[in-house]
Amino acid sequence: MVRKNRGYITLFLLPTVALFIIVYAVSLVILFGTSFTEWSAGRSPVFTGLANYIKLFTDDADFRQSALNTGIWVVLQSTVHVAIGTLFAVILSMKEFYWKFARTVYMFPNIISGAAVGMLFLCMLNPEFGAVNSIVRLFGNADYSQNWFMDYATAFLSVTMTWLPYAAVVTILILAEIAAIPESLFESARIDGASNFKINLYIIIPMLRNIIGTCVILSGTSMLQKMDIILMTTGGGPGNATMNLPIYIYKTALMDNNFGYSNSVGVFLIGFGLIFVLLCRNLFRIGSSEH
Amino acid sequence: MLTKSLGVLKYGFVILIVLLSLGPFLWVLLASFKTNAEILSNSLGWPSSFQFSNYTKAFQIAPISRFYINSVIVGIFGTLLNLLLLGMAGYVLARFQFRGKKLLMGAFSLSLLIPGAAMLQPLYLTVNALGLYDKLIGLIIVYTGFGLPVSLYILSSYFLTIPKEMEESAYLDGASFIQTFFRIILPISKPGFGTAGVMQFLLCWNEFQFAIILTTGNQSRTLPLALYYFKSQFASDYGVMFAATMVVIIPSIVVYILLQEQVVSGLAAGAVKG
Repeated sequence: MVRKNRGYITLFLLPTVALFIIVYAVSLVILFGTSFTEWSAGRSPVFTGLANYIKLFTDDADFRQSALNTGIWVVLQSTVHVAIGTLFAVILSMKEFYWKFARTVYMFPNIISGAAVGMLFLCMLNPEFGAVNSIVRLFGNADYSQNWFMDYATAFLSVTMTWLPYAAVVTILILAEIAAIPESLFESARIDGASNFKINLYIIIPMLRNIIGTCVILSGTSMLQKMDIILMTTGGGPGNATMNLPIYIYKTALMDNNFGYSNSVGVFLIGFGLIFVLLCRNLFRIGSSEH
Repeated sequence: MLTKSLGVLKYGFVILIVLLSLGPFLWVLLASFKTNAEILSNSLGWPSSFQFSNYTKAFQIAPISRFYINSVIVGIFGTLLNLLLLGMAGYVLARFQFRGKKLLMGAFSLSLLIPGAAMLQPLYLTVNALGLYDKLIGLIIVYTGFGLPVSLYILSSYFLTIPKEMEESAYLDGASFIQTFFRIILPISKPGFGTAGVMQFLLCWNEFQFAIILTTGNQSRTLPLALYYFKSQFASDYGVMFAATMVVIIPSIVVYILLQEQVVSGLAAGAVKG
């Protein structure tokens, strides 16, 4: 059958291969190639060896701050976030009603545009009319007006908070996995006299190792992308308190017109992501054994 | 005692979920019907009368409807193109053995590991070089590519569940390869295409960072950018700003409520891969 269909196989694969080349392969070649050059719009790239990377690691406070923030956010997302999502899942798995309900309501922030989520939180935390300050005022502090996103002390945490609803994806994935655990396992545990708490601790959680590992990877790597919410709410400020690598790439490439340098940050970002994914795969031994 | 406090905790969590997910949304919805003065003086209260004019004003700010149309075009064509191309590739990868298949699969799954942000400048360059900068078709092609790993995974997993006998009998009846794919495989794969299609549509509808660097004029900008650019323009008219925000959000919510089974199974399918 293969010989006869060879032409069709090629025909069916060709568009996707072309797409892959245009979107991914060419980009990677440009990214790596020009990360060793001094290059701005309208000029030709000039090879400068490791100069960009040396500057990156020794003489760029903004980059250090962006990388540090990105790192902290990756860690927060892949721990706190996954823990919250898992906890919700275990609680919600107790009743079919909750599961359907969570699926509907809890997912809302995940399916609307990040720019809109940013806008919602920007309004909620507005110093003049925001709901959060209004609620605080209700409890007596008459002249309360905290500018959550623009105040150096609160900006980082405020931005971090806007990602809490995204734990819903973790919840959904884990709920799906719990639903796949055979009912007979629970029954025999109950017959043996295990409490609900013990069933959670000794049966459900260990069986979820693989999916929790996957969630850690998904949540962590999603932080290597975050740009829309930050641009909407703080723009990376105040100062560079909420700057991360994507925003730094955007700024150096399209605002400072410093293409070569920006691409060396891109290479760093890819490396950062790869190391994170490899670490998680080892840590959770993903794919090594099925339950 | 312990079970009772666990019960309280359980409801506490459910309430927390509602507050976190629905709170901001409902608050902005309510505020979108208020006057400016009400928003400032009575931010938690009910509007004294519903100002539907905020919504008409939001649409009168001309580019919003333009952005809307752009989003619809990019969403529809970005999804159709993605499903067609990845459906074809996914089918071949799921069904046939050929030389270079492993290499191809490896390359395709590599695309999962590359954070989009790293490709901002290179893609800007490519799209520019192809003469597609600031054109909807440029966005459509880029989004079709971004959906590659997820759609390929969902679709080829679906094709694997179709029994081979279906095609064999089609061949015996004299159907060609193309006919078999379009007449036999596509119709029975509707659920797979549904799942991949919803994921892809939401990607197109919500994408921000590439929309912002690949477009410049109102002619080709999409809805998420409307919010970004009007943030400052609406600075003095909060009611209209809130209305505009709702206008952007509501279609996603409607699509989700209608198709939530597909979204949820899509998420689960996309995650198994890790």
